[in-house]
Amino acid sequence: MKISYSWIKDFLDINLTIDEVAETLTMLGLEAEISTNFDELKEIIVGEIQAIKKHPNADRLNICKVFDGVNTLPVICGANNVSKGIKIAFSPVDSVLPGNFKIKEAKIRGEISKGMICSERELGISDEHDGIMILDENAICGQSLPDYFSTNNDLITLDITPNRADCFSHLGVARDLAAKLHLNLNEPDFSTLPKSSDISSMIEISMDDLKDCPRYVGGIIQNVKIKESPDWLKKKLESIGIRSINNLVDISNYVMMEMGQPTHFFDLDKIKNKKILVRRARDGEKITTLDEIERSVNSNVMLITDGESPIAVAGIMGGFDSAINENTKNVLIECAYFNPATIRKSSKTLNMITDASKRFERGVDYNAPVLAFWRIVHLIDELNCGEWIPDIMDTYPEKIETNEIVLKKKLINEIAGVNIPNDFVVKTLSSLGCRIYEKDDLTCSPPSWRPDLTRDIDLIEEVIRVYGYDNIKSSNNYTSIMNFDDFDPHHNLDKINSSLIGLGFYQVFNNSLQTKEEAYFYSNKKDLIEMKNPLSDKMTHLRYSLIHGLMQNIEHNVNNGIHDLMLFEHGNTFSYSDSKRLGIDEVQTLTGILHGNYQEKSVHNSKSKAFDFFILKGLIISFFKKIGIKDLHFIENEMDIKYFTYSYSIKYNNEMLGYMGLLSRDISKKFNFKFDDVYAFSIENLDNLFNIMNAPKLFKKIIPYPPIERDLNFVIDSDLTSGSIIDFILSKKFDFLINIVPVSIFKHSTLGLNKKALSLNLIFQSDSKTLEDKVVNPIIDGIIEVVSKKFNAKLR
Amino acid sequence: MDIKESIESVRRQFRSDSDPFPSDKDSLENLKIKFLGRKGLIANLFSQIPNLSNDQKPIAGKLLNQLKIELENSFPSKTESASHLEEIIDRSLPGVIYPPGNKHPIQSTMDEIKRLFGQIGFAVAYGPEIDDDFHNFSALNFPKDHPARDMQDTFFTKEDLILRTHTSNVQVHLMEEKQPPLRYIVPGRVYRNESISFKSFCLFHQVEGIYIDKNVTFSDLKGTLEYFVKKMFGSKTKMRFRPSFFPFTEPSAEVDIWSEKNNQWLEILGSGMVDPEVFKAVNVDNNLWNGFAFGMGVERICMLQYEIDDIRLLYQNDVRFLEQF
Repeated sequence: MKISYSWIKDFLDINLTIDEVAETLTMLGLEAEISTNFDELKEIIVGEIQAIKKHPNADRLNICKVFDGVNTLPVICGANNVSKGIKIAFSPVDSVLPGNFKIKEAKIRGEISKGMICSERELGISDEHDGIMILDENAICGQSLPDYFSTNNDLITLDITPNRADCFSHLGVARDLAAKLHLNLNEPDFSTLPKSSDISSMIEISMDDLKDCPRYVGGIIQNVKIKESPDWLKKKLESIGIRSINNLVDISNYVMMEMGQPTHFFDLDKIKNKKILVRRARDGEKITTLDEIERSVNSNVMLITDGESPIAVAGIMGGFDSAINENTKNVLIECAYFNPATIRKSSKTLNMITDASKRFERGVDYNAPVLAFWRIVHLIDELNCGEWIPDIMDTYPEKIETNEIVLKKKLINEIAGVNIPNDFVVKTLSSLGCRIYEKDDLTCSPPSWRPDLTRDIDLIEEVIRVYGYDNIKSSNNYTSIMNFDDFDPHHNLDKINSSLIGLGFYQVFNNSLQTKEEAYFYSNKKDLIEMKNPLSDKMTHLRYSLIHGLMQNIEHNVNNGIHDLMLFEHGNTFSYSDSKRLGIDEVQTLTGILHGNYQEKSVHNSKSKAFDFFILKGLIISFFKKIGIKDLHFIENEMDIKYFTYSYSIKYNNEMLGYMGLLSRDISKKFNFKFDDVYAFSIENLDNLFNIMNAPKLFKKIIPYPPIERDLNFVIDSDLTSGSIIDFILSKKFDFLINIVPVSIFKHSTLGLNKKALSLNLIFQSDSKTLEDKVVNPIIDGIIEVVSKKFNAKLR
Repeated sequence: MDIKESIESVRRQFRSDSDPFPSDKDSLENLKIKFLGRKGLIANLFSQIPNLSNDQKPIAGKLLNQLKIELENSFPSKTESASHLEEIIDRSLPGVIYPPGNKHPIQSTMDEIKRLFGQIGFAVAYGPEIDDDFHNFSALNFPKDHPARDMQDTFFTKEDLILRTHTSNVQVHLMEEKQPPLRYIVPGRVYRNESISFKSFCLFHQVEGIYIDKNVTFSDLKGTLEYFVKKMFGSKTKMRFRPSFFPFTEPSAEVDIWSEKNNQWLEILGSGMVDPEVFKAVNVDNNLWNGFAFGMGVERICMLQYEIDDIRLLYQNDVRFLEQF
């Protein structure tokens, strides 16, 4: 919402500088920004849209002819608030927007676009991104944006929170300032005029549903003279970026910006049946709105009709066929109060946001239609643009009652934590428009323009807000000792992070949203979670695996010349599961990848060392050891994971913790880079891991007796794995045998066909004595015997 | 000669031969061969053991082994000797490089926030990223068809579930599950259906906090957040509380810190006293209990801490970026 400081001065005798006013407004909760510092935007210039045509190949796009002060350029724009003649912020080819976004000449669906028309968000001015930013009509084409703003230092941009419908007007903002600064508020002329005529034969007003439209005020102006507005009115509107159209339209806009009530003028002679009926649209109905767009409407949309056909979309935009123009003779003034939720639904359904809809959906003052009506009548008289037929039809069958709120004085201080004097409370609430009856407690009737004030806490907020948050002393009187079962259920993540980082991994954070193809590639699920309203077709599904994000990180880094990568991420992955809450399974997963070289070639190493399976396996074992988990088992190809060339499940006590292996080359087809082997590991459910990590750990005495080592060299079939032999020996639980380490594997024709020699280092240790040969030798014999038998092995 | 004496004599001989310890490779090698070589003095002594009586054998073996180890240890290891004796080592060469690894800055900031609130007794709670309308909106006093819902552009799943727009949904779960008093912070990932630019991403991380107890005041809220801001950004940080609006707090306050660099106030926290409607939704007696809540974007704080100017860098995971923190 843009306001002009000089306009505020219409209602207040105020002497502050514009900076002081902005500061005061901000500290009242109306976040204010003065447009002063725009150095970043010096390449952006004022442009004028001289013509608009639809893009031949894209419904939502327009091709605008933009005049930049010298040339007229074609610019493609998707915003729906472009119109011919407006001045806009134009970012020419080669200019740079905040965020280092360089504008280039582009071909969009076959049409050339030379530059960009910017929204306030793109310019970094505000978060407004519903449409492009519209500049003053008298802005000079070609002028840089900083220059434009510096000549315009009356403008304050307010970021109005959704609860403050009343501040969508200069009067509302002035009222807040008056309360804070203890000033008198001089209201505009809302005085009523006597009724001396009867227009009930000229127009009949009714509403289908009083919930949707509780109040509709109508009146008639005859002998209308449509002409240009006087300069003061034009200037006033232009000062907040509204284009002057003609006297009547300008009056409507002026009243809206002044006191917040949207109004509409119908050409009375174009209303068939001389009837106004407010009702919901029927499915399949159509209306062409003022912007000359034919819109299909349904029962979510409220219409103003002539009893049969629609003549306006209630609270959002007038109809084209009933609009006033230079030939209009008689005008019906509409000042209505519509249900905020109904207008919001309409606006969402039609995807139309207008100045009117913004106000109605937040809730305007239900008494304002009458005030706005009189304001319009006075202005029409003042501007001499027609004659009011002295009658007002205030169709308001069921009065809206304001609830009285009882405010306990004690509660104010209990919430604030400081003592706020009672007379300050009373004065503040009164100046905001509450009627107050004071006894032991305060009984307040909030004003009709503050639908947000319904409870005592709302009034307390008003008091504290005006009192000033800065004036409340801070304290910290924590009263209760907390007794938490688990101070941080994820505290083990600290250890996991530091362990992996210590091994050389970088932690990464990736997007959880991916394409359908990306999500399904790493899953064997039939259904994955899909967005109803994705941001783009690249983000339609929630990830089921972290691998894709990590692969994208490899791609990005390799494309930037960084080849050797150890990355990990932990985060949630998603799937459906009937047994889970809401049918959704969110699993905290940990995944890491290895790509390129573990050690680069250097002055110390004549050869680089590429990542291989054994580095992966070693890293995994070290990682688990660091987090306190030993004795892992790895089982080959237990799970058929299609995106691995081979994989091993990682098991602890027969519990599956995750898997690791070499990723399939198929993945590379999805990427635009040549990549090396990618090794990956994934721990599927961190909660599981946390449980194991949380198991109590007990100190085991360090054995003071030295271990004895013996080497055995077996000749075995070459397809036997060392692991199977070691596991077999260990499974026989030989006395004192604590570990077996493979030392070498040797293949040679002298060993026999399909044979190899496997040398094992066996380690024996007793916890009660130093082992002697005579103890160990028979055990060794036993081992040789079982191995020879089982594997048809021979000692070498 | 007694074997024991022979052993002692070899020891004495080694001591005299090795004083001073040879400094060139050849004499070192000669010394080694003389004592430890295959036909050296030690080997000679070992060869005498079989001739000893049975009760002397183990004693002599033990003594001889000790001597052998002692002598072996007197010689530098092979690599040592090579470097000590032969070349002048260029120690200006770089070290052997191991992969460095690093914590992601979002994680660092999040950990720091957790630590600071942990110090004043806020425990940590977590909750689902996908939730229902009740926990993300209704219970937090976002009425259906209310413009307040526009404050947070929302992703819906096909089933009309919500990708949480804030971690406040966990506030609701906590109050449903636990009796007050409560003092928690809730870190986690949240989603917003906003177009991606240098200052907004479709998801980010939040840390929300909630404190429910008896007699909690706005003044306590200020004290708590002042503690946090001064610890996080430095004790001299200029900060302000200003009125704002969140459906689930009343009164609501936004917290700004002053940036000398940008010469402007920067929003870093939202906060307020928990709205009575929220207590109603979770059946907590507001006459007995009240409290405050606050929330912050981890990325925003992280970007301020490290002067990162584009949020997308945090999700690009460029190693040249990650290695800097």
